[in-house]
Amino acid sequence: MLSRVMSFALRGLEGVPVEVETDINKGLVAYDLVGLPDAAVKESKERVRSAIKNSALRFPVSKITINLAPADIKKEGSHYDLPIAVSILKASDQLPSDTEGVVFLGELALDGTLRAVTGMLPMLISAKARGFTKFIVPYPNANEASFIEGASVYALRSLKEVVAFLSGEGTFQPVEHRSYDSVVRARKYDCDLCFVKGQRIAKRALEIAAAGGHNILLVGPPGTGKTMLARCLPTIMPDMTFEEALEVTKIHSVSGELSEEGIVTLRPFRTPHHTATTVSLCGGGANVRPGEISKAHNGVLFLDELPEYSRSALESLRQPLEDGQITVTRAGGAATFPADFMLCASMNPCPCGNYGSAELVCTCTPAQIKRYRSKISGPLLDRIDLQVEVDSVKYDDLISDGAEETSAQVKARVEAARAVQRERFAEDGIRCNASMGERQLKKYCRLSRECEQVLRSAFENLHLSVRARSRIIKVARTIADLDYSSEIQPRHILEAASYRSLDGDML
Amino acid sequence: MNYTSQELNAIVLDSFEKITYKVKQEITENFRFSVPRKKYEGFLIKTLGEGVYNKVREQFFSEEYRRQVVSSLEKLRITCVTYFSENYPENFRNIPAPPLVLYCRGNADLLKRRAFAIVGSRHTLPKVLKDTAEISSRLAEKFVIVTGTADGGDTAAAEGAVASGNLIFFAAQGLGYRYPASNARLYRRAEEKGLVISEQRPNVRASGYLFPVRNRLIAALADGVLIVSAGEKSGAAITAEYAFEYGKDVFCFPYSVGVPSGVGCNRLIKKGAYLTENILDISEAYGLDFTPRVRPVLTEREKEVLSSIQSRGEAHVSQVAADVGCNAFELLAELSSLEVKGLIIRLGGNRYAAADQ
Repeated sequence: MLSRVMSFALRGLEGVPVEVETDINKGLVAYDLVGLPDAAVKESKERVRSAIKNSALRFPVSKITINLAPADIKKEGSHYDLPIAVSILKASDQLPSDTEGVVFLGELALDGTLRAVTGMLPMLISAKARGFTKFIVPYPNANEASFIEGASVYALRSLKEVVAFLSGEGTFQPVEHRSYDSVVRARKYDCDLCFVKGQRIAKRALEIAAAGGHNILLVGPPGTGKTMLARCLPTIMPDMTFEEALEVTKIHSVSGELSEEGIVTLRPFRTPHHTATTVSLCGGGANVRPGEISKAHNGVLFLDELPEYSRSALESLRQPLEDGQITVTRAGGAATFPADFMLCASMNPCPCGNYGSAELVCTCTPAQIKRYRSKISGPLLDRIDLQVEVDSVKYDDLISDGAEETSAQVKARVEAARAVQRERFAEDGIRCNASMGERQLKKYCRLSRECEQVLRSAFENLHLSVRARSRIIKVARTIADLDYSSEIQPRHILEAASYRSLDGDML
Repeated sequence: MNYTSQELNAIVLDSFEKITYKVKQEITENFRFSVPRKKYEGFLIKTLGEGVYNKVREQFFSEEYRRQVVSSLEKLRITCVTYFSENYPENFRNIPAPPLVLYCRGNADLLKRRAFAIVGSRHTLPKVLKDTAEISSRLAEKFVIVTGTADGGDTAAAEGAVASGNLIFFAAQGLGYRYPASNARLYRRAEEKGLVISEQRPNVRASGYLFPVRNRLIAALADGVLIVSAGEKSGAAITAEYAFEYGKDVFCFPYSVGVPSGVGCNRLIKKGAYLTENILDISEAYGLDFTPRVRPVLTEREKEVLSSIQSRGEAHVSQVAADVGCNAFELLAELSSLEVKGLIIRLGGNRYAAADQ
């Protein structure tokens, strides 16, 4: 007898429908699984057999042929266990009911319990977009599934429950829909800007970075709290909208990094180690998986000790920084992952780390410093609008009166500045000042004659590179936005020009 | 380029690797005026020894070899100033072992001008680098600045002077190489506007012993030497020693106790170098008048910030903020503006210093 059950496969972040067909025939006892299954799918045979047996059901002793259609897509992952089991039970007449239009996803334990699978949310979203509304998923995935609106998702604990549900025995309620807002309100970041003492200038730079979506580089001696500052960056960025949160959740779900909560509500903060390869940053693998830059989508990618990263890894960031997404092409196919992240990097000012220190003497020659800094290529540096120096800890003592601002206070200003930008760029299809191209720079960043003069003399006297020009103007635009000023004023330009510790003359 | 026969003799002789400093010195002593060939031969046999002389004799008197030497120098855009040339600096005639040939690229007339040397070690504090560049650009109004090609203090001095064109960039290696490579751009600018010069044949690579040899010439060429930084063992200190020996004025930046890049400077001051805080200390010694720079117009806030930094000498932004009574980041615009106006220097680590006026 023949049976058909629906399931889904993942291609990048897209779900593709997969039909699990089972045919049971008389003949020599056999179990054939076809349709390009990978090792995990092939091994499902043993799990399915034990799970069926231990659920007080019968595993048919005959010739079983299972086909995963379409047959030309590689099937990966363990979530085919449940559809295969259901399909076998149907084919062997143990499940009379109709499963038309129901999507099954789940991994089986030997005792028949359903285990969580990765990539649940993207598969559910794709399935819903294709008109499927009824899903059976493992109970541990319930939270993740609860954000799908207008679909009945049944989160069940075991194969037994699935059988009972399909046979109409017992009462099962679909997973209750949760609103995103309620979850957002409950969440909390571990760090807060008010825990960082002093560092007024670095904090100001972080605020500007968050307000204008600028990438930022923190330069400072080792052990001065660069990482701590960077961790605070997500806390002052505006909250993610539901759509943004879903995008992030999809990526984290595919990577199997989703927490119990089932949705990512906090902007991600990723810190790949400097030994990271290009593939681990950008994504790859036989079945293409997202890399760190995609996992940092809508959040912050923090690269500590920037010059230590391999050149090729750093260069690979350039295109995604521009486009906000990355297309990874492998023999197994191509996948496009969103990668709209904010780059926050840190580095020492020189190889010995003491350049610019008041007490410690820097033992590096200018050539050594130049070589160290030149590890970061010009084109990459062009995309980092703010370069700010982090103070050595000593200066904390000066401002120990405890009046540190909280992240929430800073965030309020950031959100106000973002609102101004949203209005400004309503027709341009960009979100923030950092994404301005030449056209928008001309349109929105007209400089008064006075400003032009200030900028010109800054260039001449500080020996800035030509590349720094548009960077300074963009940052000045953001500073003006934070200042509620519709025009860029000379002091905005001058402040912007001060965030350039790597630029200009270094004799 | 037309050379006199004496000049040509010197250039051709210098092209032989076998010619030692001792031989060169004897040549400069004996052949101020043209001499008959016989006498030349006799001299060469005496100084080189028969064996070496026989090896180079044929080439030395061969017209073709001479043309070849000159044209290969021309190809490298090198002109030669020899001991017998008109524009050979008088200062070199007064030292033991004067250079026989100076290989020049750029404006060789600068050799005739009054020169002042500014040298420093490769390890030089950032603030000193900026002060050096500043003082070098001021002194270049009255002098030709002579300096070495190394990183650090030398490079800062060259950067300060190169714009005016009054720069002699004295290389230790031959001009066929640009050492250190990181200064390649500076070399090109110096060739274009000033003068790059070396005592060595173009194909001589940089090597340790050549630097003290070159330093003697820097000290000899200049009327005075400013040592901006010098460590325990530093080439700049060697230059200063030569300058003492040749009776030149030695000026030194003073350093506080325990700064590694200033140990040599303080030692030189103890030995009698002039303690030099700013350009006035040098201009007084030579009776020169430097026109004071025009004071830029400042806002009230900028004046406050500037006086805070000046009273402290060196200050962190939060110290300035405490003095002015506001938040540190609110001062960034003022600090940038003062920096643009050349009144303060950025030291890194959000620290600033007052620029010497």
